[in-house]
Amino acid sequence: MAGVTDAGRRLAWGAARLAPIVVLLAAWEMFARSGAVTPFMLPALSAVAGRIYEDAAGGDLFLNISVTLYRALAGFAIAAVGGVVLGAAMARNRAARWFFDPVISVGFPMPKIAFLPVIILWLGLYDVSKITMVVLDAIFPVVTATVAGIASVEKELVWTARNMGAKNRELLWQILLPAALPQILTGLQVALPIALIVVVVTEMQMGGYGLGGAMMQASRFANSPGVFAGIVEIAIIGYALVGAMAWLRRRLLAWHQEAQGAGV
Amino acid sequence: MSDPAQIIVEDVSHHYRPAVGREVLALENVSLRVREREFLALLGPSGCGKSTLLYLIGGFLPIGTGKILVDGKAVAGPGPDRGIVFQNFALFPWKTVRKNVLYGLERQALPRHERETRAQAFIDLVGLTGFEESYPSQLSGGMKQRVAIARTLAFDPRMLLMDEPFGALDAQTRSLMQSELLAIWEKTRKTVIFVTHDVHEAVYLAERVAVMTARPGRIKTIVDTRFDKADPEVHRAKAFVDKVDEVWSLVRDEAVKALEKRPP
Amino acid sequence: MTVVPAPKAAAPHVLVRYAPLLILALAWEAASRLHLVSSLALPPFTDVVQAWVELLWSGELVSNGLSSLYRAGAGLALAIAVGSALGIFMAISRPVNAMLGPLVELFYPMPKSALIPVTVLWLGFGDGSKILLIFLGCMLPVTIGAYNGARGSDQHLIWSARSMGARGLRMIWDVVVPSALPELLNGVRTALALSFILLVSSELIVARQGLGNLIGYLGANGSYDAMFAVVLTVAFIGFLADRVYQAVVERVLRWRE
Repeated sequence: MAGVTDAGRRLAWGAARLAPIVVLLAAWEMFARSGAVTPFMLPALSAVAGRIYEDAAGGDLFLNISVTLYRALAGFAIAAVGGVVLGAAMARNRAARWFFDPVISVGFPMPKIAFLPVIILWLGLYDVSKITMVVLDAIFPVVTATVAGIASVEKELVWTARNMGAKNRELLWQILLPAALPQILTGLQVALPIALIVVVVTEMQMGGYGLGGAMMQASRFANSPGVFAGIVEIAIIGYALVGAMAWLRRRLLAWHQEAQGAGV
Repeated sequence: MSDPAQIIVEDVSHHYRPAVGREVLALENVSLRVREREFLALLGPSGCGKSTLLYLIGGFLPIGTGKILVDGKAVAGPGPDRGIVFQNFALFPWKTVRKNVLYGLERQALPRHERETRAQAFIDLVGLTGFEESYPSQLSGGMKQRVAIARTLAFDPRMLLMDEPFGALDAQTRSLMQSELLAIWEKTRKTVIFVTHDVHEAVYLAERVAVMTARPGRIKTIVDTRFDKADPEVHRAKAFVDKVDEVWSLVRDEAVKALEKRPP
Repeated sequence: MTVVPAPKAAAPHVLVRYAPLLILALAWEAASRLHLVSSLALPPFTDVVQAWVELLWSGELVSNGLSSLYRAGAGLALAIAVGSALGIFMAISRPVNAMLGPLVELFYPMPKSALIPVTVLWLGFGDGSKILLIFLGCMLPVTIGAYNGARGSDQHLIWSARSMGARGLRMIWDVVVPSALPELLNGVRTALALSFILLVSSELIVARQGLGNLIGYLGANGSYDAMFAVVLTVAFIGFLADRVYQAVVERVLRWRE
């Protein structure tokens, strides 16, 4: 009996959360058809869905998504590795910390997208520029999180490891980074959406393939369903990436307090 | 009595430099001799520097004035000859119980099979058989401390430094752990320096109790506290109760002084 | 956002702390003057400063700057007003939360820059599309901050306020908003940074005026030193806005304590 109500409850819960989205989609369709707004301002859901289907069938959708994802994830990966390395260096090395602290502190709140024209000037109009821009934006939260994470490792853990004979390099890899992992992952979870936002902007600015470029193209040709199709496609990509990151966090931190606590 | 002292602390003073504010004299001309295989308690009010003294012996803090010799050699840093156990357990949260215990063993050049056997032996010794694959976040306070003790014993240090190890446990667990520690000590017979502010605990566990003054800490008196600890009723024995009273009156004056010195 | 706890900023300390930036500026000047890098790609720092002064004098910097700041300010103000109201109502009303919660969760991971083409489609190249973009894009961080802050409101405070006769809006204003303030202000800080990103992005891509547009125009013209000048100006304004915001927030929160 308990099994049935448990599964039943989960189903009801899922349905309750989907309901507003379904309502929204239905409202969209009805509102668009009602004539209160022109099809240009708000194309019907059916028109947008049709457009997406066309793109998918033609192969364009797959191409654009791959290109955008490649750029975003390449930039994210470089920012992740570089950010952790730099953060670890700053946490352990006084000179590194002195040099990079103002750079990070001042650079973090800057809209680094303003440097896009400079990057294009230096690196041209290809993927390199787009990926560089992504790295430039996404690396900051990773560095900050890594430094904070390592700094907040309780000194007793460090002392225990040293007590057992751990040397500096072992200390970093075996103790500090694993202990700082929750915070580092949070930094990565902040960096991922940033990577996506930035890659879309660079694609819009530079044109060509990719979801951003496609949307900008549609906008220029006043292709309303095309623009909306792009929004839906990117929204789904964003949702999937964030979800994947959350899943990864749950798996990597299965040992953590937060995993044991509330259960679901 | 004829054993040469294993740990010699001579005229050690230590200044504590906080992040804000002036530096404070934590220890002043402390001298102490600890014999091999002895169980010595460091007892005193909060702030008297007993933990600081322990950390100096352990090599976690740099020695300013005075000297500390362990087995004839000056202390130059932490090492596996002086095993430490902290009040907040300091278990590596991302490692299972078994991996925690194995960590110290991995630093030593032992063949794999022997490491595994030793680890299991000590897990059994502290009564945690069956919990080898659990993570610290799944264990109670008492269990965590037992893992910490097993972990430190496993790499066979020459002595144990224990910093208020039962301070974070509730009264019943603390009581049980005290008896267990004594039983383990009878079996392994290592030198133990045990820091505590609990008079009863000090008198019960230790063979000698070094009472410290309020800050700046000095050794006030050393009291002999050998009893037949095998007797379960020893707590009620008149000799024992008298001894607790004696030590308490020594500590009380210092506790009052410590209270007066605290900022409003 | 400080990475390491900074010591009390006495004059010499501040200099030491920001010295690396000075070193970078000097390295920039040297690299360019000594032709270690093409002075076209990296005009000497002093040339950039000179161009900056010229832009300031000619009024171009100020007029475009005001245009940009107006757009960002208006969009942000709307986002804060609507977002916080939304977040607070979601926190205190179960049905509202049930309806809007899943939608917030759905739209949160969407890159807000995807809204640039559609706002341009609707409102063209001018101020309107930018303001709408920033309003829509920055609303969610504020909503989430307000929601989390309001959720944390001490139940007892709410009950005792109710028992003293406080009802509805009055109670929300007196009890919920103050306790939600820290988290709400944190959400606004995120929105502030996001507003600059969206502003600059949209102005770089499609605009008739504004600092982003100016950067593009100067770049197309080949006036790279002036372009660098505006780029640095924009970056600096973003940085300054954040710092000022933090200082104001600290003042407000301390006053409330």
